[in-house]
Amino acid sequence: MDFQLSPQLELLRKSVREFAEGAITPKVQHMEETDEVPWDLYKEMAKQMYLGILIPKEFGGTGLGNLARMIMLEEIGRVSAAMAMATQIFHMGTASIADFGNDAQKKKYLPLLARGERLGTIAVTEATGGSDPTGIQTTAKLQGDSYVLNGRKCFITHGHVADTITIMAKTGEGPKGFSAFIVEKSFPGFKLGRKERKFGLHGCNTGEIVMENCVVPKENLLGNEGDGLKVSMATISEVGRAGMAGCGLGVINACLEASVKFANQRMLGGKSISQHQAIQWQISDMYMDLEASRLLAYRASWMRDQKMRCDTDMAMAKYYATEAAVRCAKKAVDVHGGYGYMMEYAVQRYYRDSEILIASAGTSEIQRIVMARKALTSFK
Amino acid sequence: MPPIKLDETSEWKGILVFVEQEEGCIAEVSFELLTAARELSHKRGSVQVGAVVVGHEIKGLAQDLLAYGADRVFLADHPSLQKYLALPYTRLICDLVLREKPEIFLLPATSLGADLAARLAARLKTGLSAHCTQLDINGRGELTQVVPAFGGKVMATILCPAHRPQMATIRPGVFRRGERGEGQGTVEGLPVEIEPGDLKQRVLEVHWEKKPAQTIEEADVVVAGGAGVGNPEDWKWVQELANALHGAVGGTRPPLDEGWISEEQMIGQSGKTVRPKLYIGVGISGVIQHVVGIQDAKVIIAINNDPNAAIFQSADLGAVADFRKIVPLLIEELGKKSNAG
Amino acid sequence: MNIMVCVKPAPDPKRWDSIQLDPVTKALRREGIPSVLGPLDKRALEEGLRLKEKHGGKVAAMAMAPPSARDNLVEALAMGADEAYLLSDRAFAGSDTWATSLVLSRGIQKAGKFDLVICGEWSLDGSTGHVGAQLAEFLEIPNVGRVVAVEIVEGESLRARSMVELGDRILDTSLPALITVTRETNTPRFTSLLGVIEAETKPCVSWSAADLGIRPEEVGFRGSPTQTGDIFMPEMKRKAEMLRGEPEGMITEILHKIRQAIG
Repeated sequence: MDFQLSPQLELLRKSVREFAEGAITPKVQHMEETDEVPWDLYKEMAKQMYLGILIPKEFGGTGLGNLARMIMLEEIGRVSAAMAMATQIFHMGTASIADFGNDAQKKKYLPLLARGERLGTIAVTEATGGSDPTGIQTTAKLQGDSYVLNGRKCFITHGHVADTITIMAKTGEGPKGFSAFIVEKSFPGFKLGRKERKFGLHGCNTGEIVMENCVVPKENLLGNEGDGLKVSMATISEVGRAGMAGCGLGVINACLEASVKFANQRMLGGKSISQHQAIQWQISDMYMDLEASRLLAYRASWMRDQKMRCDTDMAMAKYYATEAAVRCAKKAVDVHGGYGYMMEYAVQRYYRDSEILIASAGTSEIQRIVMARKALTSFK
Repeated sequence: MPPIKLDETSEWKGILVFVEQEEGCIAEVSFELLTAARELSHKRGSVQVGAVVVGHEIKGLAQDLLAYGADRVFLADHPSLQKYLALPYTRLICDLVLREKPEIFLLPATSLGADLAARLAARLKTGLSAHCTQLDINGRGELTQVVPAFGGKVMATILCPAHRPQMATIRPGVFRRGERGEGQGTVEGLPVEIEPGDLKQRVLEVHWEKKPAQTIEEADVVVAGGAGVGNPEDWKWVQELANALHGAVGGTRPPLDEGWISEEQMIGQSGKTVRPKLYIGVGISGVIQHVVGIQDAKVIIAINNDPNAAIFQSADLGAVADFRKIVPLLIEELGKKSNAG
Repeated sequence: MNIMVCVKPAPDPKRWDSIQLDPVTKALRREGIPSVLGPLDKRALEEGLRLKEKHGGKVAAMAMAPPSARDNLVEALAMGADEAYLLSDRAFAGSDTWATSLVLSRGIQKAGKFDLVICGEWSLDGSTGHVGAQLAEFLEIPNVGRVVAVEIVEGESLRARSMVELGDRILDTSLPALITVTRETNTPRFTSLLGVIEAETKPCVSWSAADLGIRPEEVGFRGSPTQTGDIFMPEMKRKAEMLRGEPEGMITEILHKIRQAIG
């Protein structure tokens, strides 16, 4: 069992860190203040080939895989959780097509998504179903050569940014009554709904999308009719959970670094607070959370790269890393004392950004159900 | 170039100084090096100090060089040498060094001085230390050269035991120009023949205007103002001092709150960290939140009329004075310097 | 045009406060601190890559460094260099700038014909700023230091703007030549994932002293004209000289300090 990352992955980490610090950091404050989408950063990431990390080389991606992706998200998240979320959702938009698309669909969409000429996302959640996706009510009716979709999807990351959206809709009844479609925002009947204002992840778009008799060509059915749950759940439970874990890792890194820096500078009773045990315990707990989250996240990613079944391992990594991110963010704010509450220090941003990671790509409770299911059969 | 053999080092005597000049104006650092040379000369039993100048229409410079410490002045004067060019300067000075055999050869650690020193040392196969901050003669009669490494975190003493001349470049300001003397000594014109190899380079233009820095993080010089500046009219002194030094303007939180600077210019724990060669704090009290942002600056000068201001603990040089009196005088003197070239 | 970029991997500055001075051997202990390419190394590579994009040819990267610096040369390949050369040998340890320049010159001569050699103005750790000019001397080519802008003229010469203390100079220099670059020269590009992948396929050659025809006594501790004597880590506290009295009387001191800082 070799716990060392390959030289190529170390080089990848270094390169992404330089990009994150050089290109993303200068834009963070503006994103915080305006909640504006940083289109130029997306262009730049596309140029650096970040978007196609899960797309095979034959379709224009780099095919570097899941562990490389996890490291990328960790490095971006360390500087901006909003950008890490944007990056991970781009990947999710490519994954459903790469994993379940037919040749024609892959040839048509993947190269464009890899180059960033099209931006992708996935839309499952509705007012009536998130944790329980079977509660969704968007319908898709076959009419001639097309499916006609009707419904509204809410809380969709990049709902207003993406050109190419994997949408889950009802084509029948029961668990096999769902299908997944590749929907382009230019299709007739596709509209943008409300733009959400979140208390964190500023600069990462979250919005409602509306389908009113939205006409989707038959060729854009992903897999077969009835595969909808399979397609979306596979994407969310592997690529989505990993994405959240990556964002969480980034936040934990940032919290630890900010806390160490502040603790070393801040003087109390003639010495820096980093020399007081109470602060040292906060720091060591964050360090523990970082390493444990990393091990779980890297292992699950490695497993996916080996094409091993990894949905529970992803659940575990997601659950741990995102809860840890929230824990560490609170600790970081506390270490900063009064300064932690002030907007000019970054830790308040980590505190606000981290919370949503728990609810996204399956809440912590969902992850625990998944883990229980496996434990109850494996440990009999 | 055959290497100098160990047992021949004793043939080498005296100290040579390279005089940097532009358009007939001797750089201040050249006078400082003459002072260094004189001090070393005393320690070596009053050996001769030579000064070499390369350029055009430089005969008039000899008198000042003799007055400030040279015993002998060597002039290589030719129209083609008016502007510094590495190849002919290296060739001519190398010939002089091999003829005169100085034991010690000092050059300024400036852009051109260091360039010349490096080529010369390579050609002469001898040791060269860079931007020395101290020079001395040890018990064995060797030149000890103290230089910074790792950004100044480490200081090393360099020796050149088996090669001659012992070469060192010295930063401006390490020594000071000495007292003007009577100026007795000899002046020798060196024969100059331009060779084809000298003409591989041509200087087309020289400009005196230095571009101002883009951001405070990139600037070599940062002038920062604090609450002590008091009002926006007086803030102009901070700006003008920065201009005079071709530097950038920074500040603490109160100027930001007042709108005299932008977020990009705020220096401190929750703002920018700067590492300029020179930081001047004007009317800054020096609370830790600001000081953490400047502690890696090479030189910190603080001007504050409160003698107890915390900033003085973190400064290299503190001036207890009203900046409204000091800064205008500084700007005036700096203006004189650049006009004189 | 064939461009050779010389880089100097050095201990990561972010970790310099971990550097220890062994009080007995007076050697610097820097174990565990990874080496990095300095910001000037990256600018040298960037300038080479830009010139290659404009004029065709290839960019090679070279370093005289311990074996662990191979990773840094791979970084250079990932950034876009076509081939890399590591000059590594125990005999090189302790080389001063003279010996280093000698080794690099032999390496460059062995690697092939180059029209242009580019170095950073100074390295992160030693920061003498001398290797560029000394290397040019060994290669017997002209050099221009502190170049902030360079153009190739008809493949035969280069026109460069070179910084000096109070301004800049524009020079024409015939090729082959060497230039050193500064912080202002350019903004280095980011390394894309494609670069990371391609780096694995590009050649990275390692040469020893024997490969270069260098005898150990010519270089390293033994062959270097300068020797390091005492090393000490100075107290980092500032001296705080205080000036009091009439403002007029303070000006000379302040100006002197300013000159110490910026020359």
